[in-house]
Amino acid sequence: MRAKLKNLTVNPCKMCMPMGAVHAFYGIARCMTLLHGSQGCSTYIRRHMATHYNEPVDIASSALTEEGTVYGGEKNLIKGIRNLCQLYDPDVIGIATTCLSETIGEDIDRIIKNYRTQYPESRVTLIPVTTGGYMGTQYEGYYRTLYSIVKHVEMNPEKHNGINIITGMLSPSDVRALKDILALFPLEYILLPDASENLDGGYETEYRRLPEKGTTLAQIARMGGARLTIELSLFNTPEYSPGEYLKEKYGVPLVRLSPPVGLRDTDAFIKYLSENSGCSVPERLKHERSRYLDAMIDSHKFNAEGRAVIFGEPDFVYSMGRLCCENGLLPVVCATGTSSPKLKELLSLEVGKAANALVAEDFELLDETDFEQIEMLALKHRANLLIGSSDGRRIEEKQGIPLIRCAFPIHDRVGGQRVTTLGYTGSLNILDSFTNTLLHIKEGSYRKTLYQTYYRPVKEVKQQATEKHPCFSCSGARQYARIHLPVAPDCNIQCKYCVRKFDCPNESRPGVTTQVLSPQQALERFLEVKKKLGNLTVVGIAGPGDALADFEKTRETLRLIREHDPDITFCLSTNGLALPQYVDELVALGVTHVTITINAVDPEIASKIYSHVTMMGMRYSGMAGAAMLVSNQLTGLKLLASRGIVCKVNCVVLQGINDHHIETVVEKVKSLGASVTNIMQLIPVKGSAFEHMEMLSAKAINAIRKKCEAILPQMYHCKQCRADAVGLLGEDRSLEFNEAKENAKAPGEKQGLRFAIATKSGLIVDQHFGKVDEFLIYEYSEGRVSFIERRNIDQYCMGAGACDDQEDKMTRIFNALTDCEGVIALRIGVAPQRKLEERGIQAYTTYDRIEEAIKKIAREMMGEEAV
Amino acid sequence: MKAQGVLLEERRNFIHHKGSCGGNTIQCDTESVSGAVSQRACVYCGARVVLNPITDAFHIVHGPIGCASYTWDIRGSLSSGAEWYRNSFSTDLTEQDVIFGGEKRLWEALEEVARAHAPKVIFVYATCIVGVIGDDVRAVCKKAEEKFGIRVIPVMAPGFAGHKAIGYRMACNAIMELISKAPAGRKRRKGVNILGDFNLAGEMWIIKNYLEEMGIEVVSKITGDASCDELMHAPEASLNIVQCAGSMTYLAKRMEEDMGIPYIKVSFFGLEDTAQSLLNIAQALGDGEAESRAHLLIARETHELKDLIQKSKEALSGKRAAIYVGGGFKAISLIKQFREIGMETVVVGTQTGKKEDYDIIHLLVNEGTVVLDDANPAELEHFIKEKQAHILVGGVKERPLAYKLGVAFLDHNHERRHPLAGFVGIKNFIKEINLSVNSPVWQYVR
Repeated sequence: MRAKLKNLTVNPCKMCMPMGAVHAFYGIARCMTLLHGSQGCSTYIRRHMATHYNEPVDIASSALTEEGTVYGGEKNLIKGIRNLCQLYDPDVIGIATTCLSETIGEDIDRIIKNYRTQYPESRVTLIPVTTGGYMGTQYEGYYRTLYSIVKHVEMNPEKHNGINIITGMLSPSDVRALKDILALFPLEYILLPDASENLDGGYETEYRRLPEKGTTLAQIARMGGARLTIELSLFNTPEYSPGEYLKEKYGVPLVRLSPPVGLRDTDAFIKYLSENSGCSVPERLKHERSRYLDAMIDSHKFNAEGRAVIFGEPDFVYSMGRLCCENGLLPVVCATGTSSPKLKELLSLEVGKAANALVAEDFELLDETDFEQIEMLALKHRANLLIGSSDGRRIEEKQGIPLIRCAFPIHDRVGGQRVTTLGYTGSLNILDSFTNTLLHIKEGSYRKTLYQTYYRPVKEVKQQATEKHPCFSCSGARQYARIHLPVAPDCNIQCKYCVRKFDCPNESRPGVTTQVLSPQQALERFLEVKKKLGNLTVVGIAGPGDALADFEKTRETLRLIREHDPDITFCLSTNGLALPQYVDELVALGVTHVTITINAVDPEIASKIYSHVTMMGMRYSGMAGAAMLVSNQLTGLKLLASRGIVCKVNCVVLQGINDHHIETVVEKVKSLGASVTNIMQLIPVKGSAFEHMEMLSAKAINAIRKKCEAILPQMYHCKQCRADAVGLLGEDRSLEFNEAKENAKAPGEKQGLRFAIATKSGLIVDQHFGKVDEFLIYEYSEGRVSFIERRNIDQYCMGAGACDDQEDKMTRIFNALTDCEGVIALRIGVAPQRKLEERGIQAYTTYDRIEEAIKKIAREMMGEEAV
Repeated sequence: MKAQGVLLEERRNFIHHKGSCGGNTIQCDTESVSGAVSQRACVYCGARVVLNPITDAFHIVHGPIGCASYTWDIRGSLSSGAEWYRNSFSTDLTEQDVIFGGEKRLWEALEEVARAHAPKVIFVYATCIVGVIGDDVRAVCKKAEEKFGIRVIPVMAPGFAGHKAIGYRMACNAIMELISKAPAGRKRRKGVNILGDFNLAGEMWIIKNYLEEMGIEVVSKITGDASCDELMHAPEASLNIVQCAGSMTYLAKRMEEDMGIPYIKVSFFGLEDTAQSLLNIAQALGDGEAESRAHLLIARETHELKDLIQKSKEALSGKRAAIYVGGGFKAISLIKQFREIGMETVVVGTQTGKKEDYDIIHLLVNEGTVVLDDANPAELEHFIKEKQAHILVGGVKERPLAYKLGVAFLDHNHERRHPLAGFVGIKNFIKEINLSVNSPVWQYVR
């Protein structure tokens, strides 16, 4: 995973101060907001709010221009107030500053004074608030505005029996829920603010463009005389707390409570109301409470599987965090974009306790964060539920973690204004949506998950066949022989590591002697080999192209052989492009083992590996081709596996392209039913696009295999055989059976110069001399290079127990190479080189195709001899 | 309740009733009126709209958080490749930065992005306060280009420096800055660039398919589904076709001056416009074969639409439309499109239309039609009611207003999920109009 960018906020988890100001003013009756700044601020905020609330949101702008920016915006602002009064006739205009007006140092109080002087008849109340975008988030902007409101409205400090209730940015529906609770107590209260109607209006025959409802100026004026203020926020700082202001200025006692969300915080709020009003808890609330409690119990087991990421404003995160915790749903990440150390402090106790109870691991509490960070941590902690605004949709879309949209803003669903979380009923409502989402995941996946985890397709015959298949079973590799019949010369894709004039390097090692056989010739070859090799158990079709590209030939070959041998195991290898088309036929033909080369399951990565694919006579390149190939491979694999066919997946490791993707491939193919994967080295073929690609070390390949072994069994013994291989793995006897054998010289009858080649790939001189345990012996004669044989140096051991250490390995090599003039290796140490030379064997180092290397070196030797 | 004034005195010249005689006298293309609740956005918004669809670019907003927050992945431009453009990057300036300057923060951000992601191009949007606090964004970008060897292009877009259309121009300058440094390539005789389509709901792809069917190669898509590499080939085209004239004519003109690429304006909204545009492109290229292929294509598609248009005329004929969209060209296309299905446009306005656009609108509309520049909600409300429109075409901000007035609505903005361009767009257009205008819900409110 890439690291988090430190110097940039990536995908913000916060908005700016004026957004909070607009929200606060929307809860005041007959109030319009005028943003003092450039036009964009108001338009963007309107757009954000309009999609969430589905209400017309009119916010004015002083539309500052270049001139205003340089000479001050007084003229614009005063004109803006005038125009707003004319168009909307409001009682109040909230004047919120923006980045721009703050930076140029506008003195709003002075401008308001000048307005009053110029227009003494104007009766509109003007409430300025300092909300430069860079001074904080919408959370602070909101409380600053409430603070400004109580500060600027002329108070009537006459004492009365009412209480003030100040809330955070609640949804209109939550405000109504709060009012419903309050109405059950004999309390007179003033609610600041109250956007329950203005931001969630009904349909009226007469449209009113001015938000008429909400807290009136007259009500606000009485806040100074209240007997108590309840501020429903734990995280608003005292500096901008309207409750603190009323306490200091008018001596109104202040109580801070968490918003009534969840069992405990609703209990606390209701207990407080009950005590304060001297009225016992109403029956209705008792019933609601017991229903919520009942629901908590009913769904606690489902909730315990939840791993939630909660993001948003501090009060929201705290409330949701508490609600999750009390339901045993662990919030693994709690995050706010606002700076709030107190949130982290309070939640660490709360979530810590819940994590302990669930014997769970870590959780994260973040403030001042962004969605890049949240996404990383959501993945790290395997979250399965996102709780917040629709700003989580990118994570939902990218990572497939479901998002419960229950905070502002919600752009991609309806009903943002109707989200209810307050009180017992609201808590139950939101809890149900969490639980049901978790159930949705579980019900939609448990059959598949359990099937894939525990079900092993066991078919006796195939099991046996697999054990006797050298490519699918390690033990089989030592005992059982196979024949690859080269009947399929065509290919329907172009891999960038392949040059089509040679055999396919996926499955086969190109050799100069490969011939393509007709189905009839293939049958004859099979019968001949079968006579000679009693341990022949498998017939495979591995190219030299793709076994399914020209399916006619493959089908005919298998049909003919089956007529002569009812027991032999059929196996074929393919790139998978044509698989979905032929699965049924393959099953009918009795194919039991299929190898599919899948180098990527992400089309984007695949598009870097394949230059094009050909389907139904059309050539597709780039992403389109890659996507088609990947899709067919995976579909084909799934179909095969579902029909009980044993599937091996080959995967060529390409450095810098798919080397970090291999695990994903293995996981994916496992989920589709592959039973083994064979992670292979790239063979860089000259003339191919990847000719110069660096190969991974065998160690690195093995490390990848080891890692993937945790997912699926790995094949460690692959020899990357040729398309016409015959015999045991690693002991190719194809030359004996090729028609070219008449021309081939028998080993031993030396005609020209002989070279021992150190090669892993069998194509290229690509092995270090010291790493060799077998050499390929080639002969050069009259300009022609011919393969003689493979020599395993162990067979040149002179006596039991004598060949254990490195020193004796050299002896074995010398014994094996007595008839050779030269050794060609990728590299060779100084000491062995000297020792070889002492025995008259020249050592050459190169990285080249075998034939090319031999030709060059032989000519050089001959030239030297001529001199 | 006191009577609320509907029309501000200073807005009068921006509103025009087409009368029986006299020409277009509307005032337009000026600053918005303070306090009038303009529907317009700012310079930054204009620049961001145009550049944002470049999929593999890093769009870094240099400024406080708001500008980045409100523009994060809100538009429907689709990508066939990279997804970087769907992120929002902000230097998130704080009070400290405003006092001490934000250059250092920007530099560190650029350095980090260049190191971590090495994108081919970074656009740095300078927002309102950046100029005011004295950051030299150009110099920082230049230094970053030199140091990191990637393109870092400043987009000077302080919100107050005019309206959205100024932002378009800033974006065009940024594109010019990018492509003018492209290495010379082979001129493509039948290659065109598509300017001013932002691939909303795949519209760029739809248009490209038509052109390819005509045998015309699309060299560069500007900027819908664009990649930096592809943009660099733009100078190789032999013709620019300009779809969103408001935003991209300026770029087309600059490319004509600097690169000698001629341009034509096109529109793929509506049957007449789409057909004519395809023919014009073929003719502008002097390509007879493309022209005959275009005729075939048009005949085929028109034939397919015949029944639908006939049916929709029965369902929609006589209904009245109000249009309030961003640019003049779109408004003009819409008036024609409504006419094609038998609907009359009774109110039409734009945020950034030019004098020439309003002249055409004036010619197209019937007498009595209200034409507005930079309208506000109060005016829209007033005229929708006065003219008894059945549907409003606009952006998301206008949608709730239409609904509160009991009027149908068609999204014709950047957030929509349905293609409205090309022949398939006509189907969607009719479908969208019909499903809203003839929805059963209106029975209960009227």
